Amino acid sequence: MRRSRTATFAIGIVGTGLVIIALFVAIATAVAIGEMVIPIDRTVAAFTNRLGLTAITVPRLEEAVIWDYRLARSLVAASCGAGLAISGAILQSLLRNPLAEPYVLGISAGASTGAVSVMLLGFGAGAISLSVGAFGGALAAFAFVVLLSNGRQTADRTILAGVAASQLFNALTSYIVSTSANAEQARSVMFWMLGSFAGVRWPEVTLSASVVVVGLVICIWHARALDAFTFGEDAARSLGIAVQRVRVVLLLVTALMTATMVSMVGAIGFVGLVIPHAARFIVGPGHIRLLPACALVGALFMVVADIVARIVIAPQVLPIGIVTALVGVPFFSVILYRARKAA
Amino acid sequence: MKLALVATLFAGLPFAAVAAPTGYPLALENCGTQISIEKAPQRAVGLGQNSTEIMLMLGLADRMAGSAVWVSPVLPELAADNAKVQRIASNTPNFEAVVARNPDFIAAQFLTSVGPKGRVGTREQFADLGVASYISPTDCAVTDNNVSDGTRKQMLTMDLLYQEIDELSRIFDVAERGRNLIDQLKAREAAVRTRVADKASDVSLVYWFSSADVAGDAWVAGKNGASGYITKVIGARNVIDSEQEWPLVGWEAIASRDPSVIVIGTMDRRTQGADDPVVKKTFLTSDPVASKLDAVEKGRIVEMDAQAMNPTIRTIGGLELIADAVERFGLLK
Amino acid sequence: MKLASHSVRWLAGRKVIVDSVTLSVAQGQTLGLIGPNGSGKSSLIRLLAGLRLPFEGQVVLDQKSMYRYGLRELARRVALVEQHSATEANVTVMDVVRLGRTPHRSALSPWTGEDDRIVAEALQRVGLQDRRDQFWHTLSGGERQRVQLARALAQSPSVLILDEPTNHLDIQHQIDILKLVTELSLTTIMAIHDLNLAARFCDVIAVLANGRLVASGPPAMILTEELIASVFGVRAHVSTSQHHGRLHIQFLM
Repeated sequence: MRRSRTATFAIGIVGTGLVIIALFVAIATAVAIGEMVIPIDRTVAAFTNRLGLTAITVPRLEEAVIWDYRLARSLVAASCGAGLAISGAILQSLLRNPLAEPYVLGISAGASTGAVSVMLLGFGAGAISLSVGAFGGALAAFAFVVLLSNGRQTADRTILAGVAASQLFNALTSYIVSTSANAEQARSVMFWMLGSFAGVRWPEVTLSASVVVVGLVICIWHARALDAFTFGEDAARSLGIAVQRVRVVLLLVTALMTATMVSMVGAIGFVGLVIPHAARFIVGPGHIRLLPACALVGALFMVVADIVARIVIAPQVLPIGIVTALVGVPFFSVILYRARKAA
Repeated sequence: MKLALVATLFAGLPFAAVAAPTGYPLALENCGTQISIEKAPQRAVGLGQNSTEIMLMLGLADRMAGSAVWVSPVLPELAADNAKVQRIASNTPNFEAVVARNPDFIAAQFLTSVGPKGRVGTREQFADLGVASYISPTDCAVTDNNVSDGTRKQMLTMDLLYQEIDELSRIFDVAERGRNLIDQLKAREAAVRTRVADKASDVSLVYWFSSADVAGDAWVAGKNGASGYITKVIGARNVIDSEQEWPLVGWEAIASRDPSVIVIGTMDRRTQGADDPVVKKTFLTSDPVASKLDAVEKGRIVEMDAQAMNPTIRTIGGLELIADAVERFGLLK
Repeated sequence: MKLASHSVRWLAGRKVIVDSVTLSVAQGQTLGLIGPNGSGKSSLIRLLAGLRLPFEGQVVLDQKSMYRYGLRELARRVALVEQHSATEANVTVMDVVRLGRTPHRSALSPWTGEDDRIVAEALQRVGLQDRRDQFWHTLSGGERQRVQLARALAQSPSVLILDEPTNHLDIQHQIDILKLVTELSLTTIMAIHDLNLAARFCDVIAVLANGRLVASGPPAMILTEELIASVFGVRAHVSTSQHHGRLHIQFLM
């Protein structure tokens, strides 16, 4: 028996509420646990103090760890998870490929090159920070992809252009690093490879949250247009969508969101690929519901993944890319399996 | 101070008990391989700054055909001699570049250079050309080189470095100079032990090598490496418990262990975000958590040549530096 | 609405695909576009639907150049059913038909009862009202075609353009679709390969060969044995059927 529209709406509200609650719980957990053992009452006191409700003495070091490390980190993780998941969903719809994900536009490769150029070639003569360099590199790669993929048959061309960009910029990074003036001293260079939330503080929270909120709003505004892309660009155009404009705007928004995240925390994989599929499974393919669902589920996933990364081999940190891969790979296999069955 | 030491090295020659000249062919066991030296090498190549610096310290510049893998400028007292030796590459050279110097002996600092997965080449490749290779005993003890530059199961002692100096000096038939150098280093080590005695048992240290992103997780020294040796001689404690050479640790973890002294590594390399010691210091004084650390608030930050954190001849210098600092900070009981 | 093309030209690289084609369809008329494979039918369909800008010439909708219409405005007037529709998305029949309302709704306007009604009506016209929740990838080729037609009808167009609508259908559904399409009072253009069906259901036929329009007019006048032989390269016998009074083409082997 088909559900009425009201019933569906009600279920949607309840479901959304549950996920939001879960997200809050996850962030609270992230704030409460860590290498430094801080009793829960002091953790709570740190919050109530800030709100002006209490004046309990909490050691300055502990308070700083709670606010500037753990809370900032979990909020950035939430923004990053949301941003990558939204970007993944947009790309999968625009490129009509269920395997598309945020780095398919060569963005993480470009970010590495940008960062390495600032560090080793001295681009910007000290005035440009690593993150800014990475952001610039990411956009350069994106511009390269857009240039290569203009014209008809854009979906496949975009993917191929992205592959080319990734290869090119990765090669550039390797070249710059291996010809650098000083020996490596055999230190492993896991540079930008697996990503980490360790270096974020409150300025990064503001930046990432703003970028994701603005990006999400723009993408939801285009939800109808994205639905129209279901059967391809011609079908979308015949439904009245300004295909080129929508494509450029959405690719640009995706690129900016991804570039911001990558330049801030490095390339964290599988989230942009897998979360959209999970969200689609729960709320269906309609973008007006898919995009907010991706944001929430992506945020929740990343916060939990970061908690796991921090505690599983404490006191050492497991790179978060490994955690997302460990969850992502089995999930990904399920996607492939189901795709194979449907074909 | 170092110049005086080198002078003593040669000055001490006629007065010390004469060490036996080397009998060739010299057979040695080195890193699990038997090597045989037919005669004193005349065209040695140093792969690794420490191996090269040891040979230069033993006065062997005239018998060197090349050097490679330089992390920072050579020790000032060795600069003149070093100028006589051709630098093949500052980075890791390839096999042909090394062979082009027509070497008859290779002295390598790291297993990663000429070990089984050698970046330059394997010992077998060199042996096929009749070139004997020698790997620093300090690196042979490091296993599992895939994980953060390896794990060291047992605490490093300078004995391995002395062994290297001794073996290299015998290989080149300058055993006397080797013995003198070792004696000096031992004397310096003993001097620190006496000065510090048991007075530093309350001191805890963390050795910060570098980080990819200065605000992110840091590569710090594990408990068994050269830094661990320094800590042990001083009688203090390393806050990091890992057997890995360079584990990756978060600042919350470091903060929770509250080290009394923070040692930051200085280097010329600039490939990682926190390579620059200025960047490291700025982070420590401005980060919301690190700036509240006792060690940072009381200014107990020591800058040390990052190479001293590796088992090299500079380690003794690092030892003296840390001992001085601990005393200066008034942390000795 | 009346749709006409004036000397439209389309090239792929240097090859001329559509060579100066001028044709027109009157209000409410059904035009059948026939011609062998490679005659440029699909490209012409795309030009007529406003999906491509011709290299030369223009397409005119009711006296006004098609390109002067806003994109959504155009989509409210002209609906296209493509030959093949493919998607990886896990959409239901209902989701697809609802897409037809896209040009009628702005970015965030809510779904209205009117939209519901039009969608339900479209589904009913193609006989798939009981399958609204079925997933696209479980449908047969013919069913997919009908869903796309429902989607086109949901656009409430004045002009309906179809590219080979009978391709995947069995004979009953072929006839049902064509009856449905021709009974609507919409101006219709369809590319069709079955000459008998074209003759039976179209008011006007346009014949394309090598990108050129070689003939256009009522089927009885156009579909002569000479034309069939010269354009399609087969011998045929054309007669008037005594059963339905329209043309009946028999192919001679």
